Order: sequence, then structure tokens, then C-alpha cells
Amino acid sequence: MRRRDVIALAGGAASSIVPARAQALPVIGYLGSESPERYSSRLKAFSEGLAAAGYVEGRTVEIDFRWADGRYNRLPALANELADRHPYVIVAPGGAEVALAAKAATAAIPIVFEMGGDPVALGLVSSLSRPGGNLTGVTSLSVEVSRKRLEFMCEVRPGFKLFAVALNPASPTSAAQLKNLQVAAETLGVELVVLKASTVQEFESLFTGAQQANAGGLVFTSDPYFAFRSPQLGALAVRHAVPAITQSRDFPLAGGLMSYGGDFNQSHRHTGLYAGRILHGEKPADLPVQRVTKVELFINQKAADALGLAFPPSLLASADRVIE
Amino acid sequence: MADPSVAPRRSLFTKYFCALFAAAVAPLLIASGSEAWFGYHDQRARLNDLLDAEARLAAVKIQDFIEGIRDQLGWTLQLPWSEDSVERRRLDALGLLRQAPAVISLSLVDAAGKERLFVSRIGLNRINRGADLAGTPAVMGARAAGTWFGPVTFRYGSEPFMTIAVAGNRSAVGVAVAEVNLKFIWEEISGIRVGRTGEAFVLDRPGRLVAHPDISLVLRADEAATRPLRALRDAIFLTGLGQAATGQDLAGKTVLAALAQIPGVDWSVIVEQPLAEAFRPIYAALWRTAALLVAGAVLAAVLAYWLTQRMVGPIRLLEDGVARIGAGQLDHRISLGTGDEFERLATRFNAMADELSVSQERSERISRLKRFLAPQVAELVDRIGDDRVLDGRRVEVVVVFCDLRGFTAFSAGAEPETVIGVLREYYDTLQEVVSEHEATLISFHGDGVMVLLNAPVSCSDPALRAVTMARDMQARVQKLLVGWRTLDPRLGFGVGVAMGPATVGRIGSGGRLDYTAIGNVVNLASRLSASAADSETLIDREAAHAIGTHIPLVQLPSRSLKGFDRPVPVFVPVARSSTDTDPSLPAGAEPFYRPAMF
Repeated sequence: MRRRDVIALAGGAASSIVPARAQALPVIGYLGSESPERYSSRLKAFSEGLAAAGYVEGRTVEIDFRWADGRYNRLPALANELADRHPYVIVAPGGAEVALAAKAATAAIPIVFEMGGDPVALGLVSSLSRPGGNLTGVTSLSVEVSRKRLEFMCEVRPGFKLFAVALNPASPTSAAQLKNLQVAAETLGVELVVLKASTVQEFESLFTGAQQANAGGLVFTSDPYFAFRSPQLGALAVRHAVPAITQSRDFPLAGGLMSYGGDFNQSHRHTGLYAGRILHGEKPADLPVQRVTKVELFINQKAADALGLAFPPSLLASADRVIE
Repeated sequence: MADPSVAPRRSLFTKYFCALFAAAVAPLLIASGSEAWFGYHDQRARLNDLLDAEARLAAVKIQDFIEGIRDQLGWTLQLPWSEDSVERRRLDALGLLRQAPAVISLSLVDAAGKERLFVSRIGLNRINRGADLAGTPAVMGARAAGTWFGPVTFRYGSEPFMTIAVAGNRSAVGVAVAEVNLKFIWEEISGIRVGRTGEAFVLDRPGRLVAHPDISLVLRADEAATRPLRALRDAIFLTGLGQAATGQDLAGKTVLAALAQIPGVDWSVIVEQPLAEAFRPIYAALWRTAALLVAGAVLAAVLAYWLTQRMVGPIRLLEDGVARIGAGQLDHRISLGTGDEFERLATRFNAMADELSVSQERSERISRLKRFLAPQVAELVDRIGDDRVLDGRRVEVVVVFCDLRGFTAFSAGAEPETVIGVLREYYDTLQEVVSEHEATLISFHGDGVMVLLNAPVSCSDPALRAVTMARDMQARVQKLLVGWRTLDPRLGFGVGVAMGPATVGRIGSGGRLDYTAIGNVVNLASRLSASAADSETLIDREAAHAIGTHIPLVQLPSRSLKGFDRPVPVFVPVARSSTDTDPSLPAGAEPFYRPAMF
């Protein structure tokens, strides 16, 4: 536990501490499902959280990155690679796939995940308040609020009874989300067309499929693969003139119509904070899983105008931000 | 036996040192002690006020948070329910969700207790579902009291939630029921910092942790783990509200904590600060005081040492000087330049040594004089305090010589002890007589003795005195001779008295110094003595003239004496018994009367 003491001391002294010998720095293994470019805003939030816990990359902590570059099937191999290097803690942000890959790689090294969905249902932790094992982390409400996206889309397209749902069959949460959406559709009295895509090449078929089905709009399930490619999706939505809603604010910012989902900045910041607390010596089993409660609605007035749509007052009243 | 010159010195040093040191340090100690005591109490009172104020402030913040939500809910309850008001209310409700992030969902219930509207961040919104909520505690509670706060529940066993229900000002406007995520209080509570590490937390009425800067403690929802916090709350209740109490925090550290209650929800906001940190300024002040005290004590010690040295140093010098002077080293002088009473004392001692030295010199001189002066004379010289009377000068003196007849032959024949015994008796007797007549015994030479009058101390009628003395000598020695003649029948005693000018004074050198007279008169007296028969006292003319008629004298035929060109006129006193028929009158003697020349 000597190393832990040294770390605690270094953390206590915060950023003012003189860097110790390079070998003495604790190492965080960072497993990313995409590339550093796609992660840049999330990495920024992560280092903010880490700094709040008293750690600065390169000075008081080293981060060993592994990037899957969008090929999620590489994640288990990368996770094993990281685990073999025995970092002090593995950070597995960016979805259930990453968390599950990390969990499969080690049962000893603490893991901090960041994902949407229910970590108990996915078998990552035994309970939110007492994770119990070597995992803890942050969940956002993104997966839970898929149905709200359908509700918002129904409000924007009140005349339509059919809506398309974009689903990534590779996602561990896709089944749960689809079920959730179908229940909601029933309540709302609409029909769903399920369109599947798990690669970028299949993205275009989502929009053409929605158009061909004459759907009122395209509702994206929560999925990191989609979320990280919001700019592409936004461009496609503009090109095909399809009203669509995703989980990420990047989508309306890239020309898409709407987004409703958790705040990535908040969830990645909490991830950094938890990684820092584990570096300080706290056990993941004692750190409750945090749910990021903030859910934000972004709407793009420009896109609506282009599509010839008008947002109802209820949406305008609820929106956290209206892009004009 | 201890050396008396060491022990008292040390004790004086110690005494002065201790007294001076105590005089400097005692006020310091008292001042520091009282400062520390008052400092502690002031700090305790200050902390009490500070923590109490912080607790009240935190309570106000959380109350504001809850009342903010309550007020927002009140906004949705303005008009009675009608069919067309649903859409407007929906907009109000959605606006509320945007304004109050802590509100997760909101139900609006009409006058009949039916749910008319439900909006949620996560679930689907519902309009006119019509579920009967009239019997729920929230609706009943709000209708009864206007506002109802539900118990804190931990959703998924982790997140703290509370239901707030607000009824409108009349039953027609219905009731608003909101689910509030209490995690949002974190923003209020984490902003509270007391000192560096002091923090605030909130317990609900049963003592469950509702808010804490470490949100994971709340999310853990572990009642056993937060038992110390409840103990802290109970400790404050025991002390009394408004008073800070000490207790243990979760880490087992001793903290000082104050409590404020939030009315309505009946929560306790507790503000705590680690005791070590709270009293750090006092500890710092105490350390400063201690450092000053040590510095002061060192300074006092140095000053006391210096002052004591300044006092004891001169005393030692004085003591040493007095010891030396006492030991007879009278030329020793105490050299002190302190410019104070010590210097004056040293000057006095030096003056005393001077006087002692003079006095000793004089007493030495007098004891030397006593060897050849009659005690009375010696004392006279002593009294005058001036031995210049012994200086060489020419003066009119009377010299008396006497010696034993037949002594040389006797001493040659007799045992040495006998001779010494005889001489001792002889000298003792003569010395007595000389002393009685205040004459000066100049020397003993075997059986010859020389006595001087009118020098070194002048006296009245020296000649008369000399002859009277000579008669006494004769009388006393003749008595002794009665005994001695059994040893040797030839022993006898003769005296010669002469008067005339002589040079008197101290002669000699080095350790040997004598007072004597030199002159014709000495020779004359010596010759007269030698010429005198047993029991005869021969007097020269000068003396006889000086005596006049005071003592009847008879002139004998002039005698030729060695060293004198012409025969010397010689006088003898007439025996006192009968001048006419004095059998002792020698043959050819004529009665002497005052000479015709006077």
C-alpha cells in the first residue's frame, strides 16, 4: 500500500506538487472505443474531473490510452492488453460495449465505466449503491429516455402514425431500448419501422429507409456508435431532408433536427472524478454508481425551417437550447 | 571544611540570577498564559458564532431550494380546471421542468383528485389519464396543510427523492405533486466551506443522509455507515441549538459542529469543522507565544546572567581584595571602574588598606622602638605618631652607665646557667627601674647597661631624674647583691652619671637598627661608672650643677679618667640616713653644696 500512500500524498498536494520520478506515477489505463479526435470533448471533461480529484496527466498521473477506432470488436483484445500492463485503474468510457470488454479483461483492476443504460441489468454491478466488485462508474439517462425521443418526434409530426427507429443491433442495450420504444409507441398510438445499422456504410440506408417507409421521422436509439458519428448523421439528415432525433447534442449542432439525451460533459467529468478517487485509495466496491440526471433537449430551428416544420410551443418551452 | 570563599559566592550568584530571571519571566508567563486562555475562549466563541451562522446560512439555502420548487409548483395552480386549460397547463408544467432541474416529474391533480396532467423528463407525458389520486398521502397532505413534504426515499436504493405536493389557494385549482431529485441539493451543500476542510451535510428526520459534499456517501444510502453523523446530531441536540458541540465525523476525526433546522421538511443541516483546523489559529498563536516566551526567557537569562555577573564580579574582586589585605598584603589595591557604589566601596577599601598599611608600619616602628625605649616613651612616640623624635640631632642629655663589679671574674668561674640567671634578675630589675623613671634603656653589654635621659623624649630635670634613678638602681641591685655575694663575695654594683651635649639618633643599617648617643658625655658616664666602687654612684659636674640642692651631693677628689687630659671633678649623693655621720662617705669626700659659680 506504499504506492497508494504516495499517490494519496501527491493527490492531497494537488497540482502544486513537484512531479515524482516517472516510474512512481500511477497509471490509468484508458480504453476508448473510437479515436482521440472523436473523444476530444469527452477527454477534456475527463481531465477536468481528474483535476478536481487532484491529478494532472503527465505530472501526477500517467494515462495509457488504447483506441479501438470505431471497431468495437477490437475492444476485448485492447482491454486484455491494458489489463496485462496492470494499470492502477482502467477507465472504460463510451458505452456498455467498452464497460463489458473491460469487465471481461480483469476482475482485479478497478474499472470506472461511463455508459447509458442500466449497469445492473447488464450485469456490470450488483447494485447502484453498492457495486460490490471491481467496477463502478457513471450512467446517463440516455438509454432510458429513448421513448421521450419518440414522444418529441410525435409532437413535431402530429399527423403521422408511423415512425422509423434506428437501431444498432451490435449494441448490448438495443433489445431493451426497442422494447421500451414499442411500449411507448403503443401508448402514443403510433407504429414503428425498425431500421438497423451497425457500420457507417449502413447509415445512409437508415435515412432512405425512413423516407421509403414514409415515416414521420427517424428516432435514433441511444448508442455510442451513433453518438460519436453525430456530424455524419447530421449531414445525412440534411441531405435526405429527414426529420430525426438522436441522443447527442452534436446532431442538431451538425444540422440535425433535435437531440434528447444525457450530458456527456457531466458524465465524463464524473468518470474522471471517480478515477481520481480510486487513485486516492478508495475501493470501487464502495463507490456507488452515479446516474447523471441531467437530460438536455436541443432543437434546431434552422433545420425545422428547411424541412418546412414548426416546433409546437411545448417543445419550444421545454428546449434547453434552440439553435437559430 | 568548605572553602568559605567559594560557597557563598555561588549562592549569591544563584540568588540574584534566580531573582532577576524570575522578575523577567514571571510577567511573561502570566501574560502568555492569560493570552492563551482568553485566546482559546475567544476562538471558541468565535467558532461557535461562525459555525452557527454557517449552519443557518446552509439551512436557508436548502430551504430556498425547497421553497423555490414549492413556489414553482404554485405557479401551475392559478386557474380552476377546465377542458381548454389543459394545454396551457402542459406548457406551464414543461416550463417548470426546464426551470427546476431537480423536478423529475410533475402531476397536476384536479379538484376531484383525478390526475389531469403528468409530465416527466424520463417517462412519457400523460394528459387526462384520470387516475384517482385523491387518497394518496401527497394529495391529502397538501389539501390539509397547503404544502406537503413526503419522506425521503432512495430510488434504486441509491438516489434520494422526495415528493412535494402543493395545493392551490382554493380546491378548484387542484394540487401539484412533484418528484424532486434531492441530489441537486449537492450544489447547495458542496458550496459550503467552513475554513479549509469544514463542510456541511443534511440529515432527514430519521437521520438518513440527504446531502453531503461527497455525493457518493448519499448514493450509498448506507444507514450504518452514517451512524457517526447521527451521533453528532444528537450531541448537538444535547448541547442545545445555537451551540457548537464536539463529536466525531465519518473519518473518526474530532470536529466542532453546529446545527440548524429546516422547518417544514424537518431536516437538520449540520456544519462541521475539524477541531484541529478550527483551533489552528490558536495553536499557531500558542506556538508563537511559546517561541516568544522561550526567546524572552533566554533574553532574561542572558540579562540576568549579565547583571548578576556585573554585581557579583565586583563583589568577588572586593572579596578577593579584602582577603589579600586581610592576609597582610597591604600594598594590594582593588581596581574597580564600575562608576557606581562598588567603585566607591573599592575606593574606601583602598583607603582603608592605605591606613592599615600606615598603621602597621607605625606599629612595626614602635615595636622596634620599644626595644630601646621605655614603654612609656615608646607609647609617647606612639601617641605622637611621629618617630622623628628618633632622628639624629644634638641635644643636652644625661647618660647613666652602670655595671657589676667583679662580674668578669664571677662569670669566668660560675656555671653558665648561674651567670645567665644572675644577669636575667639584674636586667629585669634595671629595666623596671628605668621604666619607672621614664628613661631610655639604650643597651646591655654583659653586665654594663647604658641609660639615656632627655632623649629621644625630652623631660624635665633630667639630671635629677637620673640621680634619683641611680639611687633606686643602687638600692634595688644592692638587695640582689646580698644574695649574689654568696655566689661570689667580690660582686658589687657601680653607677656613673654624666650630663652634656651628645649626638643622638638611630644608627645602624638593614635589619639592625639602634638608637644611641654619641659624644664625650657618654665616655664620661662610662668612665665614671667604671671608676665607681661598689654601691657608689659617681656624678659629673654638669649633672651635679643641674641637680643643685635637690639632692645633697658631696664632691670627691677629682679623678684621672682614661681618655680625659685633666682630672675630672666627681660628685656622689649623700646617703639619705644621716649626712653627718655617714659611714659610707668615702675618705677625703667633701659635702657638696650648690657651687659658688651659680
